[in-house]
Amino acid sequence: MSTAAIEAKSLTKEYDNGRGCRDVSITVGKGEAFGFLGPNGAGKSTFVKMLVGLIHPSSGTGTLFGHKIGSLEAKSLIGYLPELYRYQEWLTGEEVVRLHARLCGMQCSVADQRIPQLLDEVGIGKRGRDRVKHYSKGMQQRLGLACALLNEPAIMFLDEPSSALDPIGRQEVRRILQKLKEKGVTIFLNSHLLEDVEVLCDRMALLNNGVILRHGKVSEVLNKRMSWRFKVGGYAPILLSWLNDQTGLQIRVSSHTEESIDSSTVWLEAELESEEQVGWLNTLMVEQGMTLYEVSRQQERLEEWFMNAVSGLNHRGEQE
Amino acid sequence: MRIIMGMTWKELLRKRVMVLTLIMTAVFLIGFWFIAGTIGQNTSHGSSISSGEELLIRFANGVFILTFGFFFGAFVIAFLAIFSSFSAISGEAEQGVMQALLPRPIPRWKWYTGRWLGYVTLGIGYALILFISILLITQAHAAIPRDGLALFKSFLLFSSIVPLLITISMLGSGFFSALGNGVFMTMLYGAGWLGGMIDKVSSSLLSGTEALKTLNNMTGIMSLLMPVDGLQRRMTAELFSINEMNGMFNASNNLFELVNFNSVPSNTFIIYAIFYTLLAFLIGLYRFQRKDL
Repeated sequence: MSTAAIEAKSLTKEYDNGRGCRDVSITVGKGEAFGFLGPNGAGKSTFVKMLVGLIHPSSGTGTLFGHKIGSLEAKSLIGYLPELYRYQEWLTGEEVVRLHARLCGMQCSVADQRIPQLLDEVGIGKRGRDRVKHYSKGMQQRLGLACALLNEPAIMFLDEPSSALDPIGRQEVRRILQKLKEKGVTIFLNSHLLEDVEVLCDRMALLNNGVILRHGKVSEVLNKRMSWRFKVGGYAPILLSWLNDQTGLQIRVSSHTEESIDSSTVWLEAELESEEQVGWLNTLMVEQGMTLYEVSRQQERLEEWFMNAVSGLNHRGEQE
Repeated sequence: MRIIMGMTWKELLRKRVMVLTLIMTAVFLIGFWFIAGTIGQNTSHGSSISSGEELLIRFANGVFILTFGFFFGAFVIAFLAIFSSFSAISGEAEQGVMQALLPRPIPRWKWYTGRWLGYVTLGIGYALILFISILLITQAHAAIPRDGLALFKSFLLFSSIVPLLITISMLGSGFFSALGNGVFMTMLYGAGWLGGMIDKVSSSLLSGTEALKTLNNMTGIMSLLMPVDGLQRRMTAELFSINEMNGMFNASNNLFELVNFNSVPSNTFIIYAIFYTLLAFLIGLYRFQRKDL
């Protein structure tokens, strides 16, 4: 087996309407959790469908654990939860999973043991005996997850896995994915819920209008700008100049100045390297007669990173 | 392939397409029993035949009843074939059923062939039930052909419209949306049926005229596009062994008008229909292999 779980080289899918993916190259290591982000219509689902063999690429190549994408060998390694799907509504939930088990070549005795366990794990339980037509969207999503987990895949492709779930369901899915990650399963997560990506993924890429805009480690993005905010009273602009001269830092009045109670109470913010600097700054502020009401650490959220990356782009994904 | 075929059977049975069809068939057969009884009233019942004339009357009644029965029967199996398979690809792709199944390690050709076999076997099974039922009801009220080979050949022809229609329907489903394909198939089947009707009427009303020639060309094209009606005419001819009975009765008798013995398709037409089905199957399979889902 190859060392890379996913290796896509210049994968391209061109549609007549100009949408699709262009020249997408990524490598995802074994056991890695990879987040694939992008606004609606960016081409995320197209890319995932190429990897699982539902869409034929116009050009480029891709492998899963060294096997060509779309080949039976590659397909036997994957679990896939599509974004838009429906299961055969004339079957019961249990029968749907059994059908998938048979298509995976699973022995009946193994399936008999595994299916009830799996249905319990995803929260369907005894409702597995109900016809799928009686399932809510959330239940169908749980059923989809059960099917995706069935063959104990080496790589899981999840396209918006918790979009139809309530907060409890979302937590459960996150727990299941976390367990999979601990087991060493490679996860390719395509999600609008950036919180899921933040919690679960090691690396991520941002796709917009079919091309990758940015990529990198999640931890690097989240720790890039560790800024701190201080709510102070007795503020005067001259004090801010003094503080900047003394510390060599770039302390500024926060853009959230509307939160100030009066003109002398403001939020100040600064990028600091360590918590020791917070204490030092605190002492200086108090020495200058300011009153410190509150200190908080501001970590840049993925949402902010995402918004910054896609803002200023026109509908073609070009810089305006 | 067996898994997909089994899934298709389950689908048709669970969706109650088959159950509903069987209920409506039972209703038809009850009605057919009374109609056959009314037509067969002018002959004595039982197996004893008192004269050659009565034999001919019983045969003529049998021809009429069977022709009527199979005329309706062909409609039913045609619509069952079309409506069970018209959304096989596009409908499932639109709903997202395929997106969940096809990433499994199963070649697309096996999926396609499995679906095809599932629809065809159920359709042929239903055609067999209908075929036997029509024969038994007719037997109770008139004479039916008893030549085993003729019955076998006619059943093959009767049921041959099932694979033909399902193949074209699945091919269309690879190109058109579910709704579009339903309309396309109904229109195509209707065109074939209309071609047969025009052929039947024109051959008796416009014999020997230039207009007949033009109409024959038109109906010929219709039959080539949708050979179902031609297959049904050949089926009727095989059932009554028309070639062997040539000259034994007057084919212009009112009772035989419905049958249209004058234009029975040749063996070449049957071979054409087989190749047509095979080609449609292969194109459908190729299309499905290349289709983005």
